[in-house]
Amino acid sequence: MAILVIAEHDNTSIKAATLNAVTAAGKIGGDVHLLIAGSACAAAVASAARISGVSKVLLADAPQYADQVSENLAVLVVAQVSAYGHLLAAATTSGKNFMPRVAALLDVAQISEIVAVESTDTFVRPIYAGNVLATVQSADAIKVITVRTTAFEAAGEDGNASTENLPSGPDLVQSKVVGRELTKSERPELTAAKVIVSGGRGMGSGDNFHKLLEPLADLLGAAVGASRAAVDAGYAPNDYQVGQTGKIVAPQLYIAVGISGAIQHLAGMKDSKVIVAINKDAEAPIFQVADYGLVGDLFEVVPALQAALA
Amino acid sequence: MNWPQATFASKVVVAAAQATVTREIDGGLETVEVPLPAVVTVDLRLNEPRYATLPNIMKAKKKPLETTNPAALGVDVTPRLKTLKVAEPAKRSAGLKVADAADLVMKLKTEAKVI
Repeated sequence: MAILVIAEHDNTSIKAATLNAVTAAGKIGGDVHLLIAGSACAAAVASAARISGVSKVLLADAPQYADQVSENLAVLVVAQVSAYGHLLAAATTSGKNFMPRVAALLDVAQISEIVAVESTDTFVRPIYAGNVLATVQSADAIKVITVRTTAFEAAGEDGNASTENLPSGPDLVQSKVVGRELTKSERPELTAAKVIVSGGRGMGSGDNFHKLLEPLADLLGAAVGASRAAVDAGYAPNDYQVGQTGKIVAPQLYIAVGISGAIQHLAGMKDSKVIVAINKDAEAPIFQVADYGLVGDLFEVVPALQAALA
Repeated sequence: MNWPQATFASKVVVAAAQATVTREIDGGLETVEVPLPAVVTVDLRLNEPRYATLPNIMKAKKKPLETTNPAALGVDVTPRLKTLKVAEPAKRSAGLKVADAADLVMKLKTEAKVI
């Protein structure tokens, strides 16, 4: 049976998280098809067809898919299900929005945030905030799976898949997107960044957060993240949050500045390749996971770091 | 139930026939309108939960408790997922401490080779 990956896109390009989901699908084994539900999304389809490992792109192009609202998308996905044994999506806020609905409509148990594929019905997923890895076997005929993107490499872009048009499903006229306020940034996206500079409560204020971390991030070509403490204190917007209730990241280099390292924060970044911690408290738990620890006042260390990098 | 849904809500405004929900999505915020009834799941920043006071806890203990079972509700609760094993993920060990920023940059460049 083929595997269907539901693409996340903005009608012009495919979101990077989809590439990781395609890799996970490849590990299950079988033909990988990619579903794009959108409106006037030819550009997204063109880039989808180039993703390595995808043998066919299914396109449903209709106005009701412009914002990919979950009700319409879930019904469309369920309509395709007879040809597939596995449905996959990245565990992003989009995937976590519509996939449970798909699972409910099919009356199957979703397997969430898998980090490894053991066989066609057995997967590894983190439980207890990533402190335990559970290997689970699904007895459902159709496996509805979300993929933790940091656990799989991104698929390459040297494929050449054919495109097939799907009849679009009904417009259920349920939830309707009336506005989006997207954080505009020249910096890379947190979940896709190679380097992340992250600040915690130790930054002291929102001003310090921006004045100290942003220049450092720009020097490194890094994304800026934050701990929950910093977000709750209003130093940084909500979507900067790294951790159990925020984004799960695994960059090549993670620099934690003024972050003590609560277990919920560690759950979101401990798969980073190299972790650097800068904190004035030598006993802070962040040092137990850091490859390089620097005990010192961040207000002196960060400018010095900048000077050393410049 | 085929009801509309709004997930990751950080703000909910309920009007007569519809709710306006601000959702936290990966790139920022999204506002959706859903006709009611709807299923809304909430994000941690929606509100401050109120804590039960001791007198209320005592009062709650006196409330009648209705017991039912899955069969009476017509649902099948046979687990579809079987946990085969659980394992601890590879632990990270504490690395080394560096003296100052210059040392850190040098180590990142030569040892870790990440910048």
